Amino acid sequence: LITPASRSHSERVQSTRSPLVVQRRSTSRVFYTDKSSLFLLPSALVLGSVMIYPLLYAFYLSLFHYNIGSGTRSLIGLSNYSFLLGDTRFWQSLTRTAGIVATAVGLEFCLGLLIAYGLYQLKYGTRALIVFLLMPNIITPVASALFLRWFFMPDFGLINVVLMNLSVSPPDWFGDASWARLTIVLADAWQQTPFVTLVLFAGMNTVDQSITEAARIDGAGTFKLLFRIMVPSIRPLILFVLAIRLMDSFRFFDQIFVLTAGGPGTATETLTMYTYTSAFRLLEIGEASALGVLTLLILMAITILLIRFMYREERGAF
Amino acid sequence: MSRKASLQLVLFVVLCGFTLLNLLPITSAILTSVKQPIDAYSRSLSPWFEPTLEFHRQVWLEKDFPRFLKNSAIISIATVTISLSIGTMAAYQLSRMSVAARPILLGLLGMRMFPHILLAIPFFVLAQQSGLSDTYIAMILAFVAINQPFTIWLMRSFFADVPAELYEAATIDGCSPWQTFARIALPIVRPGLWVTALFGLLLSYNEFLLALVLSGPRTKTLPVAIAEFGGEDISYWSLSAAAAIGITLPIVVFVTLLQRHLVRGLSFGAVKG
Repeated sequence: LITPASRSHSERVQSTRSPLVVQRRSTSRVFYTDKSSLFLLPSALVLGSVMIYPLLYAFYLSLFHYNIGSGTRSLIGLSNYSFLLGDTRFWQSLTRTAGIVATAVGLEFCLGLLIAYGLYQLKYGTRALIVFLLMPNIITPVASALFLRWFFMPDFGLINVVLMNLSVSPPDWFGDASWARLTIVLADAWQQTPFVTLVLFAGMNTVDQSITEAARIDGAGTFKLLFRIMVPSIRPLILFVLAIRLMDSFRFFDQIFVLTAGGPGTATETLTMYTYTSAFRLLEIGEASALGVLTLLILMAITILLIRFMYREERGAF
Repeated sequence: MSRKASLQLVLFVVLCGFTLLNLLPITSAILTSVKQPIDAYSRSLSPWFEPTLEFHRQVWLEKDFPRFLKNSAIISIATVTISLSIGTMAAYQLSRMSVAARPILLGLLGMRMFPHILLAIPFFVLAQQSGLSDTYIAMILAFVAINQPFTIWLMRSFFADVPAELYEAATIDGCSPWQTFARIALPIVRPGLWVTALFGLLLSYNEFLLALVLSGPRTKTLPVAIAEFGGEDISYWSLSAAAAIGITLPIVVFVTLLQRHLVRGLSFGAVKG
């Protein structure tokens, strides 16, 4: 596995190949058979009753017309699904989510790669810088969303005050549909770029220095070194971080809830926000469950594609 | 100055500049929290104002925030205690069954990835039906469940470092499976337990969606309270800024304690930084 601290050549070469591979150090572990699978039991019980059961219950609920406000509940089979699949609001929120996720993750990756490479080249002060860089990622998402909301607030928000002092009239960050989407992308990027940076930086530190030295002697410039040596060497890690980010932004909720609550109108309504609104504002539990199930299916499809892609690219990346 | 040293300096200045720019929303909230309204609602960029701690005082002495903090503390600590105990046992077992563990680990990863909103709906309905809404028990159970995959993955990465020969020796010396776990494996991964516990605390402390759905007036946690509070009237700007900064402070402590383990924790144990 990836350990920047260890400097042994063979370990590092192995590590760059597979960050998530299951370790097989001695054959005794493969043949390990013991009746102590009791160790798994408590966790399995909790996950079964508080994770799997509610999940199945959500599938079950999605087959009903169920409004928890009025209490009406009737079995309608798959009608919720057929309704949603013919609903423009669903398709719009799906494409919107895809757009926001793609832009945000793309931005995070490009920025993260550059900053990580900058940190890699830096000789002193790296550790202190990382702690400060990481702050937006670590603080409570709701609080960080509030900070951004105040930052972009009309009239008195810092960015608007600065713009007005430069006599630029600031855009309507939350009120205009396309600006609101951009603000959401910026909010996600602000919070998540540090995470991408940190993982990529840790990966770069595991790249064998004899390779980078050799490249440098052969006359590779700073950026050639980045794109020809670094990026290919940490490829599994790049796929890993992209996969995590993709799935996390797909379900990202706290920031949107605080910043725009899906507005103006439905301009920033993602799938998760749409599900939340129909479950907890309109109290349409059945329809919302069906929405949640559809979101899960879409995420699963993406995950399976990603894992297959990773398997083809790097045997054992996952 | 040599070319190399000046390049280092430029790089350092650029990175510092970026970091400072990145911290602007936080710094400006900190400043707002110690500003009088007249300075907060100002369109000038002048850095001079008379600082006041009045709003921080109000948040913690006159508002309900100590109660929300208590709720957050009870729920996070109980969650981590349960989640870490059962998760560590599972992680230990998984680290010892290498091939068979793969599908289980992938399943756990899948559980971490799936949309929490899909859990929030049945949780809400079940809590309503069983009369458990607005109770600590419901929230702790829900938080333990969503914490499990993370706890198991991270702990497994620590158990993976324990050499298998040690277990073999323990078995030969007559240790029962439980003794091997408690007397041999646990002491070795003790630093990992601390790291996992702190990250678990951070995750439960920050959790918003499930807390929003399951909590009520009695069990409201800090993130839910601050979202309601800060989302209200902007005339309380300094007050909500003080509240938001206040709930962020414990996290600064977390980060300082976890400094060396941040990469590992944030990456789910996949990258050992």
